[in-house]
Amino acid sequence: MLRGKEILQKIMPLVLAAVLMTGCGVFYEKPEARVEKKQYQASFLTLFDTVTTILGYADTEEEFEKVTDDIYADLEKYHKLFDIYNDYEINNIKTINDQAGIAPVEVDKEIIELLLDCKEYYKLTGGKVNVAMGSVLNLWHEAREDGINNPLAASLPDEVALKEAALHCNIDNVVIDETASTVYIKDSKLRLDVGAIAKGWATEKVCREAPEGLLVSVGGNVRATGPKPQDISWVVGIQSPWGDNSEYVHTLYVNRESVVTSGDYQRYYTVDGENYHHLIDPETLYPGKQWKAVSVICEDSGLADALSTALFLLPKEEGEKIAKKHNALAMWIASEEEIYYSDGLEKIIKR
Amino acid sequence: MVKKKGMRLSFCKGDMLVIFFVTMLAVLIGVVFLIWTGRDRGNTVVVYREGKKVQELPLYVDGEILIENSYTNKLVVKQGKAAIVESDCPGMDCVHSGWIQGKGRSLVCLPNRVEIRIEGEEESEVDFIVR
Repeated sequence: MLRGKEILQKIMPLVLAAVLMTGCGVFYEKPEARVEKKQYQASFLTLFDTVTTILGYADTEEEFEKVTDDIYADLEKYHKLFDIYNDYEINNIKTINDQAGIAPVEVDKEIIELLLDCKEYYKLTGGKVNVAMGSVLNLWHEAREDGINNPLAASLPDEVALKEAALHCNIDNVVIDETASTVYIKDSKLRLDVGAIAKGWATEKVCREAPEGLLVSVGGNVRATGPKPQDISWVVGIQSPWGDNSEYVHTLYVNRESVVTSGDYQRYYTVDGENYHHLIDPETLYPGKQWKAVSVICEDSGLADALSTALFLLPKEEGEKIAKKHNALAMWIASEEEIYYSDGLEKIIKR
Repeated sequence: MVKKKGMRLSFCKGDMLVIFFVTMLAVLIGVVFLIWTGRDRGNTVVVYREGKKVQELPLYVDGEILIENSYTNKLVVKQGKAAIVESDCPGMDCVHSGWIQGKGRSLVCLPNRVEIRIEGEEESEVDFIVR
């Protein structure tokens, strides 16, 4: 009996220790076990010539797919409507371009809405975002495509051609008739290019209809439709323009805002060792050189898209004024050491 | 160790029990530890072609595969990182994206309609990365 007691005394601490150790494990698991919904991700590579990603929480994959299928269908509609390169069964921006100087084109009310907003963006950015400069952007687009396909023969667009095209960028020559739902380009050489606006605008549209708690990105136009389960904010990382894929400039908290970045590294080609990106200044007709990247955070994704382009092409002071006027936060990146923030942006940075 | 006469060094039942429990404890700690670190080690590299999952590779086993569609991407997985190291697509943006690591990161070859994503169970610190 006494021996038995001795044994018990010897092993009791060990048993206790073992229980405590397992206990640790059990309690550690618990907080995660409380989250019933699982995070899902869907990606589409067929829209707007870019990557569309949707993140969200659902009980099952089927439930999540139902949501993403609806979003895809809507985005695909906008993809077709705002396309300037391809014809579809419906009249789109290309149809309007093809009829420039010829006749008004009857279009879907969403094209009318988009173009009215574009005229608004033109005004509020002092002309830095001009969807009527398609003729100029076309020359850059062709030079870039050729340069990418045949890097050794890469060249800049012809200077004379650029200047000639710049004469046909007057947005007032894009005549919108809301009652007839038509758009007419008066100048036969003017072309619309809604590339700087369309993705963000479409993102905003679908997100207003989408359920709560999603994070939608159309080619880097990120929009959250509300926080994650249990009111946890989404964390969006702004990738460093210099480092590898795992480095961020910052990570930002968003709940119901859009984050859009315009950067010189997103779409470019190389001529004689120098990179020429896609953000063309309507005044110089060449890529903007002041910034490496500018990020804009505000609720409306279409506005954020327009502002990020404008701020990329403007000096900080001017851009800051515009951003402030429209309740947008901004971050300007000039170099690794030189990063500027608008008032209030630092509050949403995750430390 | 020098054995002194008179000291009892033979095993008794109690000693056996002590050894038994210490071993159990060690195994327990080991299992808990493995489950912990295994979360990260369980990450996989998932290949999607035309939006459909076509292949899944463990992130922590080195290897390489060719992904064929309109073009051909060569995917390499090495020391917990993944990259498209060769591609015959125009622009080769996928190759220029470099190496990715950590859950939620992805590589995309738009012309080839291929997405490579690192997936896993653990919650990552960052939900989404914008370029």
